[in-house]
Amino acid sequence: MNVKSCMKQHVVSIPASTPIRDAAAIIVKKHIGLLPVVDKNDLPVGIIGLRDLLKLEMPDFINFVADVDFVHDFGAVEDTRPPARTLDRSVKSIMQPIITVEEDCGLLRAYALMLQQNLHDMPVVSKEGKLIGIASRVDIGSAILSTWAKVE
Amino acid sequence: MTLFPVIVSSLIFAGCLALIFSEKVNRSIVAIAGSVLMIGAGKIFGFYSEEAAVSAIDFNTLGLLMGMMILVAMLEPTGFFEYLAVLAARASKGKPIRLFILLGVITTVLSMFLDNVTTVVLIAPVTILISEILGVSALPYLVAEALLSNTGGVATLVGDPPNVLIGSAAGLSFNDFLVYSLPIVLVSWAGALLLLQYLFKKELSKRPRRSKAVMKLNPAETFNQPETARKVLIVLGGAVLFFFVHHLLHIQPSFVALSAAAVALIWVQPDIHEVLKKVEWSVLLFFGALFIMVGGLEHSGALEMVVGVFESMSAIPPVLFGVIIIWVVAILSAIVDNVPITIALIPVIKGLGEAGMDVTPLWWALAFGAGFGGNGTIIGSTANIIVATLSEKTRTPITAALWMKRGLPVMLTTCAIASILYAIIYRWL
Repeated sequence: MNVKSCMKQHVVSIPASTPIRDAAAIIVKKHIGLLPVVDKNDLPVGIIGLRDLLKLEMPDFINFVADVDFVHDFGAVEDTRPPARTLDRSVKSIMQPIITVEEDCGLLRAYALMLQQNLHDMPVVSKEGKLIGIASRVDIGSAILSTWAKVE
Repeated sequence: MTLFPVIVSSLIFAGCLALIFSEKVNRSIVAIAGSVLMIGAGKIFGFYSEEAAVSAIDFNTLGLLMGMMILVAMLEPTGFFEYLAVLAARASKGKPIRLFILLGVITTVLSMFLDNVTTVVLIAPVTILISEILGVSALPYLVAEALLSNTGGVATLVGDPPNVLIGSAAGLSFNDFLVYSLPIVLVSWAGALLLLQYLFKKELSKRPRRSKAVMKLNPAETFNQPETARKVLIVLGGAVLFFFVHHLLHIQPSFVALSAAAVALIWVQPDIHEVLKKVEWSVLLFFGALFIMVGGLEHSGALEMVVGVFESMSAIPPVLFGVIIIWVVAILSAIVDNVPITIALIPVIKGLGEAGMDVTPLWWALAFGAGFGGNGTIIGSTANIIVATLSEKTRTPITAALWMKRGLPVMLTTCAIASILYAIIYRWL
């Protein structure tokens, strides 16, 4: 079995020129955690996730203070929003390099890659490199487990 | 005596200083290579040897630094520093000026007894946290912490490395520093604090958006290992008591510091590998290698020539000479590391003493210049570099230009105050 057999074929993707504000709105509307960024030929050029967007709002101190248990009220941080000029920038400025697998990639290989790269969803590309689907850990993991029923 | 060894040794030393200044190569690497080169040249041209190099190392300085580093390494993971910063935040009730003074005082007092760098490394992250939850800029607090810790460190024998060097070379005791340096530093420090409040008055007059949030910080939860902290602090307190009387007991401060480190290690029995990892071996190596290099300069006769030049200036009134030393050393220390400057000037001042000059006041001039000079530029002291590097990872980085506007006035003011007080109390020095 390969990853094509379990992936979702409908992928929401955006061009690199999309403003950060709009990318956030798409994530909210579709309730998804990840947006692949593609060029006009549908070739993936990057990816933007919830984590990359939320980093814009996270306080600086979490990078320096290992344990924030003693901070019971984040105070001003709780109602600090990224400034408008940040939200109007294109996603190109914050997108991350994309990791993909080809459609014929085996399920265990795809799962191992996700574990190692700490990904929750794996974008799938065709032989020509075009984005054709996306598979979550649940999609791939349950596809693997489904083969156990045939074990005698 | 031929001139050749003088030229060779001076070239090696000047080349190393230039490399350190260029920041192209790590300073410890430069110093190790330079010291090997100095011994090699000394053996070839017959002015220096391995034995002479080893005896040029001031083990009192290295021992005192190492002992204090071990104590700090044990105190660091206990959460004690964060605990103090959080207490300051709560005591300030979120009022910027009050927070500014409290954090400044804590950093200063800690850096009078502990390494400035460690103090700043541990207080600065909590400072960023406190400013963010208050909704104010962290810049005034971070800049003030670096500047005030540099300034406060000048007050005691163990407060900063140049003092350790000077104390050991001149035979000045812990109490000598408390009597002669502390009062001048206190006035200079107060001047620096007032000036900083004025320079940052715009930032400090902005009302925090959520001043109550600091009251929900729980200091007890930052204190991971109160038991270890208690033990190390008791030992540290004992060490300070012995520092007060070390000259009466005829023991070196390094012996006090290393004994304290030994007692604390036996009492706490920490994971020794973790503790030793936190000791700044690169700094100790840097010092050792510099001693060897300056030893080469001394043996080649180069320093004697500098002494000669200084002696020819004996027409200058001694008070003015001291004030000139303060400013020249301060300017040099703002540009390059103050440690090589101090190590190189120590044998020169000793030479002037042997030539009959009263050099006791000059030791203090050297200490003030080296200590306050580091405030002038963003690279002037390690504490400055640390807060600048930390702030680079935040939304409001400290720039070299900002440092010129805030740090340089502080350097000029503290040096001016120190010069005036130096001239006033000169005859008792």
